[in-house]
Amino acid sequence: MPNIDRREFLKLVGAGGVGAGAGFMLRESKKDPTEYLIPYVVAPEDFSSGIATWYNSVCSMCSAGCGISVRTREGRAKKIEGNPSHPVNQGRLCGMGQAGLQVLYNPDRITEPLVQTGDRGSMSFEQITWENGLDQLADRLELLRAARRGNSVSFLTEGVNGHLAQLIESFMRQLGSNRLLHYDFDHPHTLYAANQKFFGQDHLPYYDLQNTNLLLSFGADYLTNWISPVHHSIGFGTSRQRQAEARGRFVQIEPRMSASGAAADEWIAAIPGTEGILALGMANHIVSQGNYQGVDRADWSAALSDYSPSQVAEQTGIPESTITRLADEFSETQPSLAIGGGAAANHSNGVDTLVAVNVLNYLAGNVGREGGLLFNPPPAGTVSRPHQASYRNMLELIEAAHQGEIDVLIINGTNPVFTLPAAAEFREALAEIPLVVSTSSFFDETTVLADLILPSNSYLESWGDHFPEAGVGFPVGAVSQPVVSPLYNTRATGDIILGLANKIGMSSTIPWTSMEECIKAGWRRIYERGDTQTLAQGFDEFWTALLKAGVWGETTNGSTSFTPDQSVIDSVSVAAPEFSGSEQDYPFILHPYLSPNFHDGRGANLPWMQERPDPMTSVVYGTWVEINPTTADELGLIEGDLVDIESPQGQLRAPVFVYPAIMPNVIAMPIGQGHSEYGRYAKDRGANPLEILSPQIEQITGNLATSATRVRIVATGRHIDLVKTSGTSRDLGRDIVQTTGGEGHEVSDARLNSIPITELT
Amino acid sequence: MKISIVPALRALKPAAMLVLVVVTGLGVGYWANATFYSDTSPEQPIAFSHQIHAGENEIPCMYCHTQADRSPSAGVPSVSKCVGCHNEVATEQPQIRLLMSYWENREPIPWIKVHDLPDFVHFTHKRHVLAEIECQTCHGAVETMDTVRLARRGIDGTVQYDHTWEMRLCLGCHRENEVENGTDCWTCHK
Repeated sequence: MPNIDRREFLKLVGAGGVGAGAGFMLRESKKDPTEYLIPYVVAPEDFSSGIATWYNSVCSMCSAGCGISVRTREGRAKKIEGNPSHPVNQGRLCGMGQAGLQVLYNPDRITEPLVQTGDRGSMSFEQITWENGLDQLADRLELLRAARRGNSVSFLTEGVNGHLAQLIESFMRQLGSNRLLHYDFDHPHTLYAANQKFFGQDHLPYYDLQNTNLLLSFGADYLTNWISPVHHSIGFGTSRQRQAEARGRFVQIEPRMSASGAAADEWIAAIPGTEGILALGMANHIVSQGNYQGVDRADWSAALSDYSPSQVAEQTGIPESTITRLADEFSETQPSLAIGGGAAANHSNGVDTLVAVNVLNYLAGNVGREGGLLFNPPPAGTVSRPHQASYRNMLELIEAAHQGEIDVLIINGTNPVFTLPAAAEFREALAEIPLVVSTSSFFDETTVLADLILPSNSYLESWGDHFPEAGVGFPVGAVSQPVVSPLYNTRATGDIILGLANKIGMSSTIPWTSMEECIKAGWRRIYERGDTQTLAQGFDEFWTALLKAGVWGETTNGSTSFTPDQSVIDSVSVAAPEFSGSEQDYPFILHPYLSPNFHDGRGANLPWMQERPDPMTSVVYGTWVEINPTTADELGLIEGDLVDIESPQGQLRAPVFVYPAIMPNVIAMPIGQGHSEYGRYAKDRGANPLEILSPQIEQITGNLATSATRVRIVATGRHIDLVKTSGTSRDLGRDIVQTTGGEGHEVSDARLNSIPITELT
Repeated sequence: MKISIVPALRALKPAAMLVLVVVTGLGVGYWANATFYSDTSPEQPIAFSHQIHAGENEIPCMYCHTQADRSPSAGVPSVSKCVGCHNEVATEQPQIRLLMSYWENREPIPWIKVHDLPDFVHFTHKRHVLAEIECQTCHGAVETMDTVRLARRGIDGTVQYDHTWEMRLCLGCHRENEVENGTDCWTCHK
């Protein structure tokens, strides 16, 4: 035993203590954190922990109105799928629909009613109570109503239909205001107008993609955003996979290849804005070849006399042989179907273009026929179908604001500061309005300029209903029920309006205390129109069945026959498109297109959508400018070069993406990025092409001709790397794609107007 | 010349001693934590006794853990379920008063989880209960426990206490009973 002195002993005791402490903490650090089992205070009846509960509801990410089934666990939404019983989407759902969860759980949601305490746009919001917020607005409304100045209140909402639309309408009527505007950037005004003009119907027909043998699409990107993309995708898929009969053929006509164009058998680029002229050229050929045998043949012959294939070839840049071949094919293939939309409809001649598409359908005998165009019956009678505000209506609102006629503006779910071109000066108009109220759940570009924010629930937390506008051949409706209780201190838009109505004392005409009650009362009226079998089960049974199925339909059909009036035939013509900006100063046509990921920009705050590669370019998280390789060569640009795009109205900066499937004098940009607000995922990312659009208007509808702006490209000399998931789009001598001039097919110049052929180097 | 390292070692002796003491201390500390602070039988917010409920009063497990045969999780009874009986039963006991204070404040009782599997294991009670495996097979003699204690089924089929589950034990039982797809990775790891 060695001698240990006192000093040594203390040292050892200390060391032992430190060792023991360290050992204790080592074990402690290896322990799993304590987990808790938190029981319910009172167990809810409709779910058990660990077991998923599915609720059927309606998707509100775009206006198509697909049915959804939401998987919930312990009262939290976990996954959104398509509702298999809903005839619109039949169990399918698009990417944006799936990303609805990120609207619900978005970290940038507005969680409380807020009031602006500083200057507008200063973001100095202060939290208030609902009571206080509703009082502030209700007091103002009541004052205006008492002074008979109700009409100085304007309600600007995203396109809503069903009973919420009815509620807003009756609220505004009670206030004495007719300034209720439904505004969606992408509403197909020209399509409605063309159908009104040609068929005399104020609702859209059903386009039977599923059963058609030849689909001719004039600019309609129907697989990603035209009317009801999920429904069309199902129809397209079915027509392509038919086993027994022939596989459906599909031709796409557009200046820039969209995702739909990429799925086509043949892609044709006509000079932008001349798609309608092309359709009439084909119509002319059908009539002159005797492929149309109707009694009004002579009238058609006269009306179409200016559109001989040779004249049309000159105007559209499409070879005469192609026009006649397509026309023959279109009239000989039975049934065939022509549809139109997208950029083709967004020119100064948009309505006439789409009328021309209807003419083609009529002459080929596709109207009222399976595999063609079927008429929808008028939508369910008890439900209001509001008319959408056009760009011109928005200008009227802006003008009224400048005149000081608007005292209060209530904005619900729409973001005009972002979707209207800067030339419309909506932002400036807001400054003239004394009280701006937003019910948005996000700080979008419009909401940051509001004085008062009464945040609404996400659609997954709200009661509502939806009657798909385009229909599926028979009337369909669906109730949107909350799948989770509100996560934050927010209220459904309907409940906000009911709260206001209650405070202002409108209870005689708006008696409901909650949106659920209002929806239920509305559906009671629909139930009461039902047949004896429906009535026999009682309303409660009907209501439960409706919520369970998530969808309701009626068995009525639209008319099947149609004959156009002489005057309609005589008026068929398509003028040359007008562009703003001279061709010398602005040599390129700007082709903004709805992004499959962000739609009109509303999806930009969803990280799933940001990181989903664009289907054509595979670019993520950004904006780019698509330029034809020839043009890029001429300008000395390569992918990633930053360029300034200048229109007569302004300029923006974005990197170049060299895209072979675009006409040399057209440049394309996706819509949806370039937010200056709208949360952490959207803010300060990319550029917004809508900002620099010229205010060119389609005269019949007052719609903004979004494809009619000319621009020029100015190189900045700077370069960035585009973030994209694909490598090179070139073959680089690897013989991956081999091309051959097949019999009877000319190999056209890849760089001009046909499907690109990979360059072999 | 003779070279020896002994003088050098002698000089290191106090330091070696120090290291030895530290290492021993480390072991002692570790052991003390594992033995006396193992948390395999943690103190719960309410001293609920399974021995009284399941043992003496012979209340079946599934009277309270109602979901065991239809859900992945067996389910903890809601506070209202406890109150359902204790409105009448043993109302004067201090622990029951504690329970009632939770109920009156509409607060859930933060029970501490004793049996916990990692998140990557998708264990389901439903299948095991429907296969008529006794709760005690895995959880031990809960009806004798005043405070629930961590238990597991050993490879020999006997219950071992104070040790967490390991994958070999799951697989052992699955193999022994020739469970269909019982050794497929995706049966438990999704």
